[in-house]
Amino acid sequence: MGKRGIIDGRENEEPTARVPGPAYARIASLLVGAATLLSAAPASADEDAPIQLWHAYRGAEEDALAAIVARHEATGGAPVELLALPYDAFGSKLGASIPLGEGPDLYIDSHERLGDYRVREIVAPVGDAFEGEEGFRDNALAAVTLDGEIWGVPLSQKCVALYVNQGLLREVPATLEGIAALQPGLPEGVFALAYEAQGAYAHAALLGAFGGSMLGPEDSFGFVGEPAIRSLDLVQSLIDRGAVPNDADGALVTDLFRAGKAATAISGPWLAADLGETDVDYRVVQLPKVEAAGGEPMRPMLTVEAVMLSPHGAQKPEVRALAKLLASREAAEIRQATAHTLTARSDVPLPEGDAFLRAFADQAEVAIPMPSSPAMRATWEPANRAIKAFLRGELDAAAATEGARKRFDDVRRPPPPPASPTPLIIVVGLMLLYMAFGMVRAARSGDLGPALRRSLPAYRYVAHAVIAIGLLVLVPLIIGAATSLWAGRPETGHYVGLANFVDILTARGGPLLATGSFYLVLLVTLLWTLSNVVLHLALGVSLGLILARPTMKLRGIYRVLLIIPWAVPNYVTALAWKGMFHRQFGAVTGLIEGLNRAFGLSMEPIAWFSKFSTAFTANLATNVWLGFPFMMVITLGALTAVPGDVLEAAEVDGATRWQRLWKVTLPIIRPTMLPAVVLGAIWTFNMFNVVFLVSGGEPDGTTDILVSEAYRWAFTREAQYGYAAAYAVLIFLMLFSVTRLGEWRAKVKADREAAAVAEAVAASGGAH
Amino acid sequence: MSGHGDGKDAGRQVSWIESAASHFVVVLAVAFALYPVLWVIALAFSGTSTPEARVLPIPREPTFDHLWAVVSTTREVGESTQWLFGRQLANSLIVSISTALVGIGIAIPAAYALARFDFVGKERGLRVLLATQMFPAVAAAIPLYLMLDALGLLNSRTGLVLCYATTAVPFAIFQLRAAFESIPVDLEEAAMVDGATRLQAFVKVVLPAARPAIAVTALFAFMSAYNEFILAATLLGKEDMFTLPVVLQRFIGEYDAQWEAFAAGALIVSLPVMVLFYVLQRNLVAGLTAGGVKG
Amino acid sequence: MVAVTVSQVTKRFGATEVLKGIDIQVPDGHFAVLVGPSGCGKSTLLRCLAGLEEVTSGSLTFGERDVTSLQPRDRDVAMVFQSYALYPHLSVRENLAFGLKLRKTDAATIKARVDEVAEMLGLGPLLGRLPKALSGGQRQRVAMGRAIVRRPALFLFDEPLSNLDAALRAQVRVDIRKLHDQLGATSVYVTHDQVEAMTLADVMFVLNGGVVEQSGRPLEVYEAPASRFVAGFLGSPAMNFIAATTVAEPGGEGLRARLGDGSVTIALPPRDGLGAGRSVDVGVRPHDLELCAQGEGDIELTVDFVELLGPEIHAHGVLAGTKVVACIETSAGAGIGIGAVIPLKIRRLHLFDRESGRTLR
Repeated sequence: MGKRGIIDGRENEEPTARVPGPAYARIASLLVGAATLLSAAPASADEDAPIQLWHAYRGAEEDALAAIVARHEATGGAPVELLALPYDAFGSKLGASIPLGEGPDLYIDSHERLGDYRVREIVAPVGDAFEGEEGFRDNALAAVTLDGEIWGVPLSQKCVALYVNQGLLREVPATLEGIAALQPGLPEGVFALAYEAQGAYAHAALLGAFGGSMLGPEDSFGFVGEPAIRSLDLVQSLIDRGAVPNDADGALVTDLFRAGKAATAISGPWLAADLGETDVDYRVVQLPKVEAAGGEPMRPMLTVEAVMLSPHGAQKPEVRALAKLLASREAAEIRQATAHTLTARSDVPLPEGDAFLRAFADQAEVAIPMPSSPAMRATWEPANRAIKAFLRGELDAAAATEGARKRFDDVRRPPPPPASPTPLIIVVGLMLLYMAFGMVRAARSGDLGPALRRSLPAYRYVAHAVIAIGLLVLVPLIIGAATSLWAGRPETGHYVGLANFVDILTARGGPLLATGSFYLVLLVTLLWTLSNVVLHLALGVSLGLILARPTMKLRGIYRVLLIIPWAVPNYVTALAWKGMFHRQFGAVTGLIEGLNRAFGLSMEPIAWFSKFSTAFTANLATNVWLGFPFMMVITLGALTAVPGDVLEAAEVDGATRWQRLWKVTLPIIRPTMLPAVVLGAIWTFNMFNVVFLVSGGEPDGTTDILVSEAYRWAFTREAQYGYAAAYAVLIFLMLFSVTRLGEWRAKVKADREAAAVAEAVAASGGAH
Repeated sequence: MSGHGDGKDAGRQVSWIESAASHFVVVLAVAFALYPVLWVIALAFSGTSTPEARVLPIPREPTFDHLWAVVSTTREVGESTQWLFGRQLANSLIVSISTALVGIGIAIPAAYALARFDFVGKERGLRVLLATQMFPAVAAAIPLYLMLDALGLLNSRTGLVLCYATTAVPFAIFQLRAAFESIPVDLEEAAMVDGATRLQAFVKVVLPAARPAIAVTALFAFMSAYNEFILAATLLGKEDMFTLPVVLQRFIGEYDAQWEAFAAGALIVSLPVMVLFYVLQRNLVAGLTAGGVKG
Repeated sequence: MVAVTVSQVTKRFGATEVLKGIDIQVPDGHFAVLVGPSGCGKSTLLRCLAGLEEVTSGSLTFGERDVTSLQPRDRDVAMVFQSYALYPHLSVRENLAFGLKLRKTDAATIKARVDEVAEMLGLGPLLGRLPKALSGGQRQRVAMGRAIVRRPALFLFDEPLSNLDAALRAQVRVDIRKLHDQLGATSVYVTHDQVEAMTLADVMFVLNGGVVEQSGRPLEVYEAPASRFVAGFLGSPAMNFIAATTVAEPGGEGLRARLGDGSVTIALPPRDGLGAGRSVDVGVRPHDLELCAQGEGDIELTVDFVELLGPEIHAHGVLAGTKVVACIETSAGAGIGIGAVIPLKIRRLHLFDRESGRTLR
C-alpha cells in the first residue's frame, strides 16, 4: 500500500490539506460510524461469489499481489476478485460496508488501524490463517497482537531510513550533529539533511532517540516533557544552522533529493520508487545516532501491513486459506522480488548483497511499532500544531507541547454524562400538542375546509416534491440535528441533552477568545463572510457595469472569459490556488522572484500559510476568484431592468456620471441584487472547500471557519459527531435568525413607508 | 448597462482614455480569472515534473503523455479488455444528467404551483425550504446514508442520483418559481381560452417560455452532481462504477501527488462543463435574473 | 354566434366585492362595449365571461347554454388580451394555429384558415417571424388573427388598443368594427376609453364600482345619461358641472337655478317633482354652450384661457366660482382673447340630484 499506508497517522494530523483526499476520506468516515449505529445482522453472503479482496496497492506492489493471487487460483484456490481503492478512502469504505455485511472478505491495511477497527467490529481475529510464530519477525507480530490475540497476518514492514547522496557525501557521519556539521562544506543551495521537519511523523524518530513517544502510557499524550523539549530544541538548532529546510513537505523532500540539493534525506522505501530511474547515486543506511540524546539512535515508527479479515470473511475457510497464503513464505518471496519490499517474515532471506533492503531491515529492528490504540490518531493534530508553532517562533518548546497536551486532552475528554431524556420528551410532546391544538383550532374555525378544497389542485403539483424533499432532505436534517444531543463515539454514544451546546458556548471551559473557541472562530467566520461579500460585490458590480456599456468593444468575449472560474469544479481551482501559493514553486513566489530579477529587489518569498493575515488572504483570493462571476452575471441581469430614460432624466437634471451611478443605477438594481447577495453570504458562511483545501486552517487553526471546525470535530477528533452536529445546529440557528431579522426589518421599513405614504395622501387630500 | 445602451448613449463619443481604462480593468480581471486555469493547463502538458517557481503558465517540454495516460486506462474483464475511462466518463454523464432530469422533473411542477397557486401551507413550505439551505449539508449525510442502505442503493448510480437530488431540488424550486413568476399569466390564460387545459397551457406555453431559466437550472443541477466526489467516493465500491472526480482523487494522495496527472484529469473533467457554460452563457444572464435567485 | 346573458353575477376576491350583481344582455351578433374607469370591474366581468374567473354567484348564458361553470376551453370564446399574450416561442403562423391544433383540427384546414386570416389582416409576410420581431401594431394584428382564426361564437376584447399610439389606435378601431361587421359574431369589448366605446359599440354598458350604471345605444347614453357619473365619463371635453340650488322663478311658474357662489342664476326647464330649494348639479356639455350676440346669452363667461384646436376653440373661464369650458366654432369665436367676456347660450342642460347623482328628468 505504498508509503501512504505506513503513515496512516498522518491522515489525522492537523491537515495541511495539500490534497483533498484526506478531507473527503474524513467526510466519508462520518458515514462509517453511522452505519455502525444501525448495523443489523450481516447479510448472508452468496456462496459461489468470488472472494472479495480490497487493497490500496499501486504499481509494483499491485503487480506482486496480482501474481500471488493468480498463483492461488491456478493451484485450485477459490476465485478472487481484487479491488484497488484509493488509500484515502480505504478506512472509511471498510467502515461503511462491512457492518452492513457487504464489502470485502479480507483486506490489506496498516496495523495501527487495528485498534480502531476492533472497536468498530470491522475486523475479526485471524484464527487458523496464522500459521505460527516461527516464520515472522517479532516486531511485526507484536504490532498485530492485541490483548494476546492475532488480528492480522503480517505481510511487510515499513519505516523511514536515511538516504545518502553519494555524489555529495562519501562518508556518512554517525551522528545527526555530524551530518549537520557538514553544512558549511556543501555547495550553495544544498541542504545537509532534508526531512519533514514540521511533521510529527518524521519528528517521532527524533523523539524516539530521546526516549519519548507520541503516545504515552495509558493513552496519555506523550509529546511532552524533557524528551519533547530537547528534541524540538535540536531541530531548531539544525534549522538555524541551515542544515535542514524548515518547511519541507514530502513532495519537496523528494524533489530536493532528486535534484541533488540534499546530501541526505529521511524517508521511507517510497522515496526509492519515486526516484525511479535517476541520475542520483544514492544508498540507504540506518538513521544516525543523536549526540544530544547521549548517542542513542533515532527510532522511527514502524508500520506493519497485514491481511485482515472482516467478521463475515473470517467465518469462511477459503478466505482464511487465502489470507494464510498471502502471508506465506512463497508469497513473501514473490513480493520481495517483484516489489522490493521488506517482508514481515524472518524465514525469507534478504537477497545477497541487497544493501537497500538490508538497511531497512536493520532499521525496522530498532523502530518502534506504531501504537494501535485508537488514541494514537488523536495525537497527530496537536503534535503537528505544536511543532509548527514552535518552529515559527511563536511559543517555546515547553509551552508548545503543554498546549498540545491540552488539545489532546480536550479531544479525548470523556463525553458528558448521560442526561435524562425526560425534558426532551416533554418538550417534543408539548410541541406536538401545540401543533395538534393549532390544527384543531384551524379546523374548527371553519376557514380551513374551504381553503383546503381550494388548495387541492395545487397539491397535485407539489405532492411529489413534498414527499421527495421530506424524505431526502428534511428527515435526514432533523435526524442530523437530533444527533447534537448525543455524545461519545458512535458505537458508545449516549444522550447528553444540551451538554454539547453548553460545552461549545462556554469554550469548553477555556478563555472565550482562545484559539479554537467558538467565539474566535465565529469572529473569523464573520470577517471571512464580510470580506468575501464585499469583494464579490465590488468586483462583480464594477465588471458588470463596464461590460454592460454598449460602447465597450469585445464585451461578449470578455464575458465568456470572465465566467470561466464559475465553470471549473471548485475543488480543482482550490487546489490550483493552493499550488500557486506554495512557498517554493508557487506562481506567486515566481512572481516575486521575477520582480526581484527585473528590478534588482530582494523580496523574500512569503510563507503564505504561516501567518494568519497571509493565510487568510490566500483563502480570500481563492474564494473571490470563485465567486465574482456569479455577482457579475447577476449585475448584468439586474442592469437590464434599469430604464435608459431614467438615467437620461438624471443627466438632464444635472447629475454627474458618478452621481448617476450612486443615486440612480445602484439604488435601482439593489432590490434585484439583494436576494443574490443574501444567498451568496450564506454560501460563503458555509464555504468549506476553500478554507479546508487552501489554508486547511493554517496557521494553527486560526483561519478555520465554523463549518470547517465542525468538520474537524466529526472527522479528525475522535469522530465526535454529536459535537459536530451541535456546531451545525448553531450555524443554522445563527443564519436563520439573521435572515429572519432581515426580513422583519424590511417588513417594518415597508410598513413605515406605507404608513408615511398613507399619511401624505391623507394630508394632501385634506388640503384639497 | 444595457439600460444605458438602449438610449442615445450609443451614439455618443466615448473618450479614448475612458475606453482604454475600461479595457485595462477588464483585461486585468480576465488575467485574474484565467491565470489559475492556465496554470492547470500548463501543468497538464508539462513533461518535466521538477517543480520550480515560474510566473508564466507555459508547459515545459510539452507532452500529451499525461492526458493520454488518464484517458487510456483499461481493465481486464474475463477475456475482454474494458475501456475503463470510457465507462467512468459514461458514469459521470449518466449520473449528472439523471440528477439534472430528476431535479428539474421534481422541481418544475412544484415551482409552478408555488408561482401560480395560492394554497394552505405555501408560505410555511417556502420558509422550510429556505431554511434547509442554511443547514450545513454534513449534518444530513449520515441519516441519508442509512436510508440509502435500507433501500439497497449504496453502491449504485441510482443512490448517487438520489443524494445529489437532495441539494438540486430545493435550489431548482427557488430558481424556477421566480422564473415562472416572471412569465405573464396572460399567456396561460390565452392558451386556456384557445382551448387548452391548465396542464396543456403549462406544458405547451409556460414551459417553452421558461426554457432559458430551465436550461440554467438544469445546468446547475448537472454541475453540482458532476463535480461532487465526497459522496461518490464513499458510495461507490467498484472501479467501473466510479465517477470522474473519484478517479481524479486517486491521482493525488498526500504523499505522492501526481500533479500532472491530476491536472490532466482536471482538464478533462472541466471541459464538458465549460462547453455547457459557453453554450448557455447567454441564458445565464436572463435565466438567473428573470429566474432570479429571488427567494 | 350567440346571445350573451349575464344575470345577477357577483364576484368577490376575499373581502372585496368587485362585481355587485351585474345584469347584461347582448343580442346575437351585437358588439357590446363595457366601459368604465379603472377598477370598475369591467375586466373582471370579461374574465368571468371567458371563464378565467369563477363567478361567486349568478349565472352566465351563451345562447341556450349555461356556461357558468364551464372551463374556458369549453365556452367557444376567443379573447384578445391587452398585452396580446402572444406565445413568445412560437412563430406567427404557429401562434395563429395554436388553438386549432389543440382542438385537433386537421392540418389542411388549419393551413387554409391561417392563410385566410393572414390574408384578411395582412399578416402574410410575417407568418414566419417570432413575436419579438414584430412591431406593436403587428403584434396586435396577430392577437386579433389568433382570435378570428378560431371562428368562435363570442369574441372578447380586453383593452386591445391601449398599447398602441393614437394614430394607429384610431385606424385599428375602424378595422375592428369592420371585421365585426364582416364576421358577424357577438363581441364583448372592454375599454376605459369613451371614444372607443362610442365609436365601436352597438350596445354600451357603463360600469362603475361593480354595478352597471347605464346601458343602451351609445348615442342614447350620451344624450341621456342616467347619472352624473355617466354624464361626466362620456364626452370630451368632459361635461361642466356646477353646483346649484333651485329657486322659484320670481313671480312665475318655473324654477331657476342659483349657480355656484350665487352670483348667477339661470332658468331651468321643467322637471317632474322638482321644487325649489333642492341641491342639484347643473351639467352642461362644452359643446352645448353656444356663442351668441351680446345680451342674448343665458350666461356670460369671463375668459381666462383659450385653446386653439383648429376647427374649434376651447374657451376656459370661471362661472359663479366654478371652472367652465366652452367649445366654440373657430369661425364664430375668432378674436376671443384672455379677459374677454363672452355671452353664451345654453342649448341643453342636465340636472342631477346632488345626493344620489341620479339624473332628474
